Amino acid sequence: MKDSDSKNAPISTDRRRVLLGLGAAGAAVAGASLTGNAFAATAPAQVTEAPKSEKTQDHNAFHGPHQSGIVTPRPTAGMMVSFDVLAQDREDLERMFRTLNERIAFLMTGGPVPQVDPKLPPLDSGILGPVVTPDNLTITVSVGDSLFDDRFGLEPVKPKRLQRMVGFPNDALEADCCHGDLSIQFCSNAQDSNIHALRDIVKNLPDLLLVRWKQEGTVPAQAPLKPGQPPESARNFLGFRDGSANPDSNNQKTMNELVWVQPGSDEPGNGEPAWAANGSYQAVRIIRNFVERWDRTPLQEQQAIFGRVKTTGAPMDGRTEADVPDYAKDPEGKVTKLDAHIRLANPRTAQTQRNLILRRPFNYSNGVNKNGQLDMGLLFICYQADLEKGFITVQTRLNGEPLEEYLKPVGGGYFFTLPGVVDSNDFIGRSLLAASAQTTKTA
Amino acid sequence: MKKSPLALLLTFGVLQTSLSAFAATAPLDLVTPVSDYKIYVTENVDTLAADTQKFTDAIKKGDLATAKKLFPTTRLSYESIEPIAELFSDLDASIDSREDDHEDGVKADDFTGFHRLEYALFSQNSTRDQGVFADKLLADVKELQSRIAGITFPPEKVVGGAAALMEEVAATKLSGEEDRYSHTDLYDFKGNVDGSKKIVDLFKPQLEQSDKAFVAKVEKNFATVDKILAKYKTKDGGYETYDKVKEQDRKALAGPVNTLAEDLSQMRGKLGLN
Ligand code: HEM
Ligand SMILES: [Cu+2]
Repeated sequence: MKDSDSKNAPISTDRRRVLLGLGAAGAAVAGASLTGNAFAATAPAQVTEAPKSEKTQDHNAFHGPHQSGIVTPRPTAGMMVSFDVLAQDREDLERMFRTLNERIAFLMTGGPVPQVDPKLPPLDSGILGPVVTPDNLTITVSVGDSLFDDRFGLEPVKPKRLQRMVGFPNDALEADCCHGDLSIQFCSNAQDSNIHALRDIVKNLPDLLLVRWKQEGTVPAQAPLKPGQPPESARNFLGFRDGSANPDSNNQKTMNELVWVQPGSDEPGNGEPAWAANGSYQAVRIIRNFVERWDRTPLQEQQAIFGRVKTTGAPMDGRTEADVPDYAKDPEGKVTKLDAHIRLANPRTAQTQRNLILRRPFNYSNGVNKNGQLDMGLLFICYQADLEKGFITVQTRLNGEPLEEYLKPVGGGYFFTLPGVVDSNDFIGRSLLAASAQTTKTA
Repeated sequence: MKKSPLALLLTFGVLQTSLSAFAATAPLDLVTPVSDYKIYVTENVDTLAADTQKFTDAIKKGDLATAKKLFPTTRLSYESIEPIAELFSDLDASIDSREDDHEDGVKADDFTGFHRLEYALFSQNSTRDQGVFADKLLADVKELQSRIAGITFPPEKVVGGAAALMEEVAATKLSGEEDRYSHTDLYDFKGNVDGSKKIVDLFKPQLEQSDKAFVAKVEKNFATVDKILAKYKTKDGGYETYDKVKEQDRKALAGPVNTLAEDLSQMRGKLGLN
């Protein structure tokens, strides 16, 4: 009984003395976070005490040449939502974009929610409280191939490579989680902040947007880096570091080449409409992972399938995650198999440089399948200036890869991420509407 | 979840006192529409009882064709007064619960009522052994009729019913989940929408005093829904099965339905009701 007594009692003075007694020397060993907690903890926390975050006020600029949420560092929580557009005519469509613009500008900035007569339903779900915190939120709006059908006269200005996703050989697409007129990607520090934003949009556009499907995902937080330590990527649900060989998202030149449709792309031969400049193609794939089976696969086979070392994320011929594999030295695939995921995805030849894509995935976990297996996988999202040279080419090279035995793509779609909103006179989708208004007139 | 009728009556008593204590917007104004609504509900529950009699007679006679034909029309009056019927949650469960309201699905002992019979008629294609369910449904409907006669309608429930009916459409009718064996969802759809529109009509003068644009917008959306439903009317005055409703029309219905649910959720507040 003594034992349980001491467990239930508030931190014993003895124990506290030990913690505090670490003193300056102890703190250096234990690291700053431990001492921070030890000093702050005047009393042990109650069971329902809220976890703390200093980042709820973090916010991303809404205005800019590009939308945020693409080269923005990926936060913990992501959510992809696809919608059917219910607008009946162009006037409705413009109202949709303008309302979206207004909601996104507010949600990404935060601030108090206007209060109304308590006899009315409140204007906001209230799940972030009376003052909305931006919490590092980005909201990224993209349009699907079906928006360019005969409803709104957008057809003549459709981005050249935008198309309806077609199943690849290993796919088992479920109609309920594919395609859509519009996609919205929500990313922030917490799932609740994304849900808050989604509910705000659903509530404010009931006659214009209908949710078609939604997939949430997460990125596991990594321990803070020690001084001098290179950054390490988060792991996916197969236990491998994911993101290692992504192109440098801080390098504007690289991003201009790989991710953003460039001004002047409307020149003959390229054929992107002028309005699409500074937009990007978004490929979304909901890829189920057969994790039970994966966990029953020998480590060396797992590593051979990816072409990377599981613990460090290093390529087979490297020491650290950042090392670059040298396939020229390994033409027969003795070190990195020729059909390894990373070697097929990026053979690193001069010709395949144009197929690089910017990946920004989240891990998802949805529940349990009928057979008792866990329903989880990767919410794969990537961006590229050319959908065909990017995702479609890379996925085509991956067709038949050994990893497929552990994967089943079940949903997703292709979208075109609209150019950014440059200032408060602009609104999301404005350039698309303006361009199509011109073609409608001249036609 | 299930409340006894006594508990419900007590609840009404409490709601009524709190209402009279709240005198902000002359509840006197609401007396006429509320009593008109009671007349509407009473008429509908009388129709429901008479129709249920015929429907259950057909089942007990083993007349499958007639029973199938009467199924959707019998339900219509129930669906149009659902906000009031749902006040008696025990009866709502035994009259109108669906297979997926029960952990054991169709085999559940307490799966009774319209949808249990629907399952037999449309999925099993038979009236065999359905006598007990037919008797139970008729008894439940008669019980509902007498309970409705005995209660005072709380104004906030009446007004709130307009939105509740549209929530019902948004949640179960748009998806075709309500009548999964017979696919006669459009009848229920129509019942819910008419029931909601009736409430708006009754309170229109009061609503227009405070917000003319609101009434105009709501009426426009009701008209849109009606127009789409009308496309699926059959010659005999009924409706096509839900699988015939084009994807495009399902989507076109979602916009006005969700907007009505959103807008009508403000109706209580706009009338100053708690
Ligand atoms: C559930 C499915 C997938 C999993 C678990 C997965 C996992 C990984 C892992 C662990 C890496 C190595 C680390 C890194 O560079 O990030 C990688 C690299 C890569 N993956 Fe995937 N991947 C998946 C699907 C895809 C798809 C659908 C594509 C595109 C069609 C793709 C394209 C790439 C590319 C381009 C690389 C970098 C290769 C390099 O540059 O060396 N992956 N993936
Ligand atoms: Cu119902």
